[in-house]
Amino acid sequence: MIDFSAVADFIRGIPWMQLILTLQWVFLAYFLAINMAYLVLNYISVFSIIRYMRDHRAEYLPKSLASYQPPVSILIPAHNEHGTIVSSVHSLLGLNYPEFEIVVVNDGSTDHTLQEVIDAFGMVEFPEAYRRRIATKPVTRIYASSRYPQVRLVDKENGGKADALNAGINCARYPLFCVVDADCILQQDSLGRVVRPFLEDPSTVAVGGVVRVLNGCTVHNGFLEKIDLPRSLLAKFQLVEYLRAFLFGRLGWSPLNALMVISGAFGVFYKERIIAVGGYRSGTVGEDMDLVVRLHRSLRRERRPYRITFVPDPICWTEAPTDLKSLKNQRMRWQRGLAESLAPNFGLMFNRHGGAVGWLAFPFMLLFEFIGPVIEVFGYAAMIPLYFFDLIPLQSFLVFLFVSVGMGVLLSTNALFLEELSFHMYPRSWQQLRMFGVAILENFGYRQINSIWRFMAVIKWLFSFWTKGHWGKIARDGSWQRHGERAEDHGT
Amino acid sequence: MESLIGTDPKIVFAFWLGVAVAAMTLLMLVVIIVMRQVVLHRERVHARAVAFWSTILVAEPGFETGPVPPLPNRDLSGFLQVWNEVHEPLHGATTAHLGRVAREVGLEQRLYRHLGHGGFHAQLVAIIALGHIQNSESFHRVEHFIDDKNPIVSLCAARALMQIDPKRAVSKFVPQIVRRGDWSQGSVASILHEVGADQVTRELSEATLQANAQIAPRLIRFLASVSPEAAAPIIRNTLLSSKDERLISTCLQVMTHRDDLDCVRPLLAHPRWHVRMQAAVTLGRLGVPGDEQRLIAILSDEQWWVRYRAAQALRNLSFISVDDMLRIQQAQADGYARDIIRHVLAEQTMGVAA
Repeated sequence: MIDFSAVADFIRGIPWMQLILTLQWVFLAYFLAINMAYLVLNYISVFSIIRYMRDHRAEYLPKSLASYQPPVSILIPAHNEHGTIVSSVHSLLGLNYPEFEIVVVNDGSTDHTLQEVIDAFGMVEFPEAYRRRIATKPVTRIYASSRYPQVRLVDKENGGKADALNAGINCARYPLFCVVDADCILQQDSLGRVVRPFLEDPSTVAVGGVVRVLNGCTVHNGFLEKIDLPRSLLAKFQLVEYLRAFLFGRLGWSPLNALMVISGAFGVFYKERIIAVGGYRSGTVGEDMDLVVRLHRSLRRERRPYRITFVPDPICWTEAPTDLKSLKNQRMRWQRGLAESLAPNFGLMFNRHGGAVGWLAFPFMLLFEFIGPVIEVFGYAAMIPLYFFDLIPLQSFLVFLFVSVGMGVLLSTNALFLEELSFHMYPRSWQQLRMFGVAILENFGYRQINSIWRFMAVIKWLFSFWTKGHWGKIARDGSWQRHGERAEDHGT
Repeated sequence: MESLIGTDPKIVFAFWLGVAVAAMTLLMLVVIIVMRQVVLHRERVHARAVAFWSTILVAEPGFETGPVPPLPNRDLSGFLQVWNEVHEPLHGATTAHLGRVAREVGLEQRLYRHLGHGGFHAQLVAIIALGHIQNSESFHRVEHFIDDKNPIVSLCAARALMQIDPKRAVSKFVPQIVRRGDWSQGSVASILHEVGADQVTRELSEATLQANAQIAPRLIRFLASVSPEAAAPIIRNTLLSSKDERLISTCLQVMTHRDDLDCVRPLLAHPRWHVRMQAAVTLGRLGVPGDEQRLIAILSDEQWWVRYRAAQALRNLSFISVDDMLRIQQAQADGYARDIIRHVLAEQTMGVAA
């Protein structure tokens, strides 16, 4: 039997004011630390982007001989992608790059993905001497096409995205492989740009590129024709968020060789090095980040010189979810992916040979990206009772809100500044003002709901409510495939 | 503001921090908008200049003798873009018409000013343009840029010097190829091809002979691409004497002489698989009757790539037909060997070989 009076006495006995004051300092220190960290990353990114634009804004050098461009295997993992897969492969066939192959991996789709690829490209079964260098679920058939000799199709039992990618790596013939999501749109020169760091520095093992929001843009024949802002507010929020995440979230870490994420939507890797670390880890939802963290860990342990680089060129465009349910699923999956990547590689943090990634990037990810939402949600939750019980004056609450929103807007505006310094994809003044408006507006609701989803993901992960890695499905209708039409005209 | 009087200093600090952040944000927004306007203005001026000077520099035959208008400073960047673009397909050569335009607008003097005082972009464009003008007097002005720390600047300077005076420039260019690991190899090869084998073979051969195992593969590849004849004795010597697997691999990739096959055959048993694989590829390219038996022997190699390239090499031998391949396949006791031949034959039928 619980003695409630004893519990009440205990609660009354707690020095509340002391606790609140201490917590206040903790929250303040955390708030200052996270914003300072982001600002520092931001300023590193400014220098990186100025340098990058200086060296690469024009093609100064004579065209490199084609035989010096390494051939690339493009891997497209596909699970129930019948709406987009054929046009994605068609657009990849139009890439401006001397030598590449496309390996579509059908991961046990239950729709018509397999048949559509077979029909569209005239694929026939091919007696490939398959090499199982990384263990995967059984590969049932491999197809090739005499009409499209660059395209191959691997049909395998369902095993998740990581497993599909591993099967693709097993089939890849070339020393570099590029991972592309089936619903992404690339620029014609994407591959050349993202392969360039491998030519500039032979110690490069992986390169990531910027992923941009496709909503609102016009696509023609599988290539981007016109860039515009999305109409949906939710997609606009994500556009500003992507700018922040890619232009300083990742570009800031790259010069320190501490980049921990290469988006699963688009990245190029040195195949042998990936096989050496065992390929993608199956059963995770954040296989992209997990791979990069393991690469760092393994190469640091072996004390090999290496570079994991980020190219700021806008090379890959993807449709952002425009309904809350899909967005929630995506964000929760990302947060879980973060947790699953950090936990098994904890040994990298503060490791003697950890370098910038072990001493800066890993703690940053853990403290601000993983624990951040927990602290933020506790902060919001604490405000309500504190305000109602008069433990925090309204004035303090408003001032803190003012500073917090102000910092959020400043960071987003800095991302817009980086965009202006570099590629100015949204060149009209009204577009910039609209994005600035979105940067303010996202602080009232969008940011908080995102934190809540991420908080939920942390809790779910801690209690292991999810059983295994799976394909994250987001409602997309692939409407960008239709000629000259805007994605949102079809209600995505 | 009065409401802050007597407030907790922490709140006052936070308030002023918020004000500072808001001010910085607004300042940033203004900077973005002003920058945009400036860039838009510059782009408009540049596009106008490009359109105007394109009509003059890319003049129709017969209209090349007309008067050349003065070149205002605001048009210079557009002019240089057209100037460099027009010259690219000419591979270093210039025309009488372009030379006349350059003289009449006083291009060289303006480019020298850019070299001395311009920013990164202006300097580079000037170096490239001076290379196209090919006036030997500008050699010494461009010369020191070949030592620039930035690989793009130094490589552009190397190309310009090779265009201006290849005989003089080659003694500066080749040592830099040896020294600069950060130069884009594709661009170096492109410059070597532009100037031609006659100008670079001697220096490149000497440098290759003196290079250590770290640098030699790079140089052998360049030399073989501009002059296979000059590369042949060096390749032979390397295959006979070198223990460096990377160097051996490179030599196998670029060798073109059948006479040297005796140095290749023993390498089919090399302990490193990539050397065995390259040896198989070389035999497929240059092999003679009798070599098929050597290739058949490695169809059961433990490495997939060695088996695959050996099967491809067999298929590539002119004296081995598809029927021969089928017979070889049937004669194999090893399942891996049979599978790889089936794979390669299917590739051949479908035209999908890697």
